[in-house]
Amino acid sequence: MLKIENLHVEVDGKEILKGLDLEIGAGEMHAIMGPNGSGKSTLGYTLAGRDGYEITEGRITFEGKDLAELEPEERAAAGLFLALQYPVEIPGVNNAYFLRAALNAQRKARGEDEVDSMAFLKAVREQLKVLKMDEALLKRAVNEGFSGGEKKRNEIVQMAVLQPRLAVLDETDSGLDIDALKLVAEGVNRLRDPERSFVVITHYQRLLDYLEPDHVHVLSDGRIVESGDRSLAERLEREGYAFLDEGAAEAAGA
Amino acid sequence: MSELLERLAPDDALPSDGFAELRRHAQKILMQHGFPHRKTENWKYTPLTLLQQRSFAGTGEMGPLPAAPELPFDAAVIRMHNGEIDPSATKLPRGTSLTGLVADDVDVDALVADGPNDAFAWLNLARLGQGWKLVVDERVERPIVLLTTVDDAFEGAVHPRLHVEIGPDSALTLVSLQSGGGAGLHNAVLDVRMGERSKMLHVIDRSGGDTVWIEHATVRVAAGASYRAFVSDAGGALTRQDLRVSLDAPEARGAIHGVATLTDRALVDYHTTIEHHVGPSQSAESFRILADDRATGVFNGRILIVPGADDSHSEMNTGNLLLSENARINTKPELEIHAEDVTASHGATIGQLDDDARFYLRSRGLSEREATALLKYGFAAAVFDDLEPGPLADWLLERLKARA
Repeated sequence: MLKIENLHVEVDGKEILKGLDLEIGAGEMHAIMGPNGSGKSTLGYTLAGRDGYEITEGRITFEGKDLAELEPEERAAAGLFLALQYPVEIPGVNNAYFLRAALNAQRKARGEDEVDSMAFLKAVREQLKVLKMDEALLKRAVNEGFSGGEKKRNEIVQMAVLQPRLAVLDETDSGLDIDALKLVAEGVNRLRDPERSFVVITHYQRLLDYLEPDHVHVLSDGRIVESGDRSLAERLEREGYAFLDEGAAEAAGA
Repeated sequence: MSELLERLAPDDALPSDGFAELRRHAQKILMQHGFPHRKTENWKYTPLTLLQQRSFAGTGEMGPLPAAPELPFDAAVIRMHNGEIDPSATKLPRGTSLTGLVADDVDVDALVADGPNDAFAWLNLARLGQGWKLVVDERVERPIVLLTTVDDAFEGAVHPRLHVEIGPDSALTLVSLQSGGGAGLHNAVLDVRMGERSKMLHVIDRSGGDTVWIEHATVRVAAGASYRAFVSDAGGALTRQDLRVSLDAPEARGAIHGVATLTDRALVDYHTTIEHHVGPSQSAESFRILADDRATGVFNGRILIVPGADDSHSEMNTGNLLLSENARINTKPELEIHAEDVTASHGATIGQLDDDARFYLRSRGLSEREATALLKYGFAAAVFDDLEPGPLADWLLERLKARA
């Protein structure tokens, strides 16, 4: 579903991703862990197509399409969703209105019928219930006055309504207490499907206890330096990221 | 400037009716002060070049009355076209009446002879065309819509005057739906007197078009009465509104909430004043300007709290969005406080659309155009947060959405 080959990305003239390779198949959940500054958020923003993130080398292919050719809204319509680490507050723009407009914009781009407001509200209410969020949040402006945990859960509500094929979660667990974390994980797990893939970018391992990814990768200094299964995450939890330096030293010494 | 005076207020014979003396008096004052110019503080951002260029040759071929727009709420509609109202064409709600103005209705002493600042109000009196008085002495639920239009071929100058008197314990919702037309001058004066404990909801939806649209409004608020104005201005060639709300007695309240969505070469200027004369009193003001293309928006919001008006509280904030390199916004809050136990806050921001917000919306599937429109609408619509939801608010917001 997603193939990243030798990806080099510059932000403000500084190279952050230095040859990243990653392949994700349909239905798979991949976790990407790494120390601060390794390029985790850069990967998320590059996939979503944010201005200022310049691909200087390499390719990203999503469902056979070259992502670099697509605008952010085209990537969304193609089935990509990025749950932001810091969801944006947008005063004056109603939460429900925005989500329905987004869903219909995507459906229109795909040649599908628009969803009427009744059907939409029903779908959203269900998601809000699952994530134990107050329906009143629908009447508020996007993320305005939401607590950190509510903002993260709102991202999952959006994901559930938009039904992406590839969901990238950028440090969705940061700033969450254990109860909110469990709710978010539950929300994500409900969306697992043979036709849907996940890239879970995280700094800490605990989210992965609840999500159980198929593959775990370690991102360090702009590249994937190690890949494995869940036991890799457990090892990182025990030993921290220091072993990466040892690995680099070994490689240099060998 | 005297050339403009000659064209707009020539020393011709004026109609000899009950207003003859008032007109002469106003003409004298006008000749003394003349029109404002670049050095006149309250007009420095609003050149009258457009007026100077126009000849006001006359009203040309008057077309038929334009069709009234369909309103999604129940209302009594008064039509003013080219400065004239046909009272027989209106069925007013019970508890209201519309009659012609008489000279005694005009309180000349109360008119402020403020140098050239109020020149157009004096011009209105010097060249008074039709004057009307709307009296409300009940709690009228049904809104009155004053639909004010001007012919596309209109090239003259009209000076209509409207006095509104709201009796004690009465209430009025007045919707001023104004759209300009041809290259003339529509120079109006609005004088509102509110009785004790009365309420007025004043909604102004305005698009000047090519007409120079000037309105000088004064609202006097008595004890326990409340005046609320909500303004949505789509811009025009030259629009200027002076709005003065005078809180004259204890527990008087005033609120002004407005947004101007400006494109092309629109030039729009709102000068508002809220005066606290006696405490306790409260006021609130919020004004937002969105300026695109080569448009210019001017806002001056003055809060005056006079000596002795203790326990007065006012809150003002303005937000401004510059949407293009050539758009201009001049915004100034003014606070003049002479009393004790007062709170008066003000804030003003000028900025551009938030890139993070725009990316967020696009990442969910909205095109750049849709995301920008949504952000603009969100910014503009916020000024109407205090307007109670319902068909009137929906209508106002729909019109705003089409402009954002």
